[in-house]
Amino acid sequence: MKTLIIGEVVDNKLSTGALEIVTKANDLGLDYEIVTVGTEESPNIGSESFKNTYMKCSENKLSLGSVADKLKNIIEENTISLVLAPSTYVGRDLIAFLSVDFKSSQVSNVINFEIEGESVITSNSINGGESEYNSKISSPNKFLLIRPKSFEEAALDLNTNYETVEITSEDPEVFDIFIEEKTGPQLEDSKIVISAGRGMVDSANLSLVQDLASKLNAAIGGTRAIVDAGWMPYSQQVGQTGKTVKPDVYIALGISGATQHQVGMKDSKYIIAVNKDEEAPIFQIADLGLVADTLSIVPKITENL
Amino acid sequence: MKIAVCAKQIPDPALEITYNGGNINRPDEQVLDDTDRYGIEVALQLKEKFDAEVTVISMGSLGTEKGIQQALQMGPDGALVLEDDSLSGSNSLMTANVLSELSKKVEADITIFGTESTDGYSGVIPQQVSRMLGVPCISYIKAVDIDESVTLTRQTSTGSEKVVMPSNCVLSVTAGGVEPRYPNFKDIMAAKSKPIERISIADISYNAQQNLEFVDIKDVSTTKQGEKIIDEGEGFQIIIDKLKELKAI
Repeated sequence: MKTLIIGEVVDNKLSTGALEIVTKANDLGLDYEIVTVGTEESPNIGSESFKNTYMKCSENKLSLGSVADKLKNIIEENTISLVLAPSTYVGRDLIAFLSVDFKSSQVSNVINFEIEGESVITSNSINGGESEYNSKISSPNKFLLIRPKSFEEAALDLNTNYETVEITSEDPEVFDIFIEEKTGPQLEDSKIVISAGRGMVDSANLSLVQDLASKLNAAIGGTRAIVDAGWMPYSQQVGQTGKTVKPDVYIALGISGATQHQVGMKDSKYIIAVNKDEEAPIFQIADLGLVADTLSIVPKITENL
Repeated sequence: MKIAVCAKQIPDPALEITYNGGNINRPDEQVLDDTDRYGIEVALQLKEKFDAEVTVISMGSLGTEKGIQQALQMGPDGALVLEDDSLSGSNSLMTANVLSELSKKVEADITIFGTESTDGYSGVIPQQVSRMLGVPCISYIKAVDIDESVTLTRQTSTGSEKVVMPSNCVLSVTAGGVEPRYPNFKDIMAAKSKPIERISIADISYNAQQNLEFVDIKDVSTTKQGEKIIDEGEGFQIIIDKLKELKAI
């Protein structure tokens, strides 16, 4: 099945999300090419093993509408039937635009897919990962948004061997671009992740989590509830609408464990949960659950490490 | 300025979602998706500054219309809603088709959404509507500064960026982008007399098709034989010992 994978430039190379999809595409033996979207000069996104086209956008334009126009041409000219993108801000915008152009609804939050003749069967995770919802797409054009960490990242030597297409457009101007400084361990690749929820009671208590995280060299995440409350930036949200993490150890502090949160962390190798409420759903997926007052136990762990 | 703001009625989010033949079971009484409160708040701030007319748009099974009332209580002027049995189990594109038509019906300059609903989570409807309307989509807005012009701050994967709001566009607002207002008793009573126009699918130009077929829902649960310990003072040590065993420290 002729396939297009949409990638992005992250840290001057091809995004992890795209490399994860490459693994699945190789497993299925799909005939694929990649289009990568970014603003950098000559990023390392090429490879000997696939054709890549770099759509270089101006960082001062909101150009994804114009990128979608170009993608539409590529899809038509190369008779591509399957389009795969990681479920990121950019991926969501592009897949949405293309689904309208080709009058074919996308499937979002896909965790796995298989080819069945001319159709594609997609799987979504529902009920906090306890069930899989399977759908069949039979329209000529198929658009899938793939959740991060659904497949292993392909290990490839990346180079600058690709064709570049400059995107120029009349799109809205972008200004005051702010790059969040990345300090300390990052959620995506840290071996230990400590996440906080409403059970931490007040944003001031997050310093307790910070202290423990520094000692364990852990990344810090949070639930949607505390991100919405403004305790933490959105970039640290773990769950359905935030990040998916799979660390060796996940420590959930004061998190009840709504299914939307579980989707983002349930595949961690070992889950430790601390919660006051004995009935909290997080205990159903925890390897080690401690029914305790989170606020008093966290500093004790930090002190005694 | 005319603004359409989307409000979705969803089953009580505290309860687990259940399915029937692939479709989410929707009780007669559904509530306003909290995610939409952020979009409604932005619409109302624009209304206050530019004297805009704000109309709530919604589709799906209306039931008691509790969620629509909750949206109106915040302060919009009225609502335009569409219910049709044939729309049950709509895919994203079908939903976007209806919502873009509702936006056209109210002649909206600006159409505002949350970023993704709490029950469906497809996360693409605002962008699809913008493409159908042929206007720019300013997605993932996390801050709004309203002066003579409106400056929108977008969340990006690496940080943020700002865009001046175009005169015709679609916005999607992230949760936490603004502080939604709480209606008081007067607002709640006033909402009851606000106009709600109900139309059917025959009143709009509808041409989306179902291209997705429900296959099945498979149980993939693995009951974990985890330990649950009630802290009796030494709980912290149990965690430290476990971290050592796991070679995390």
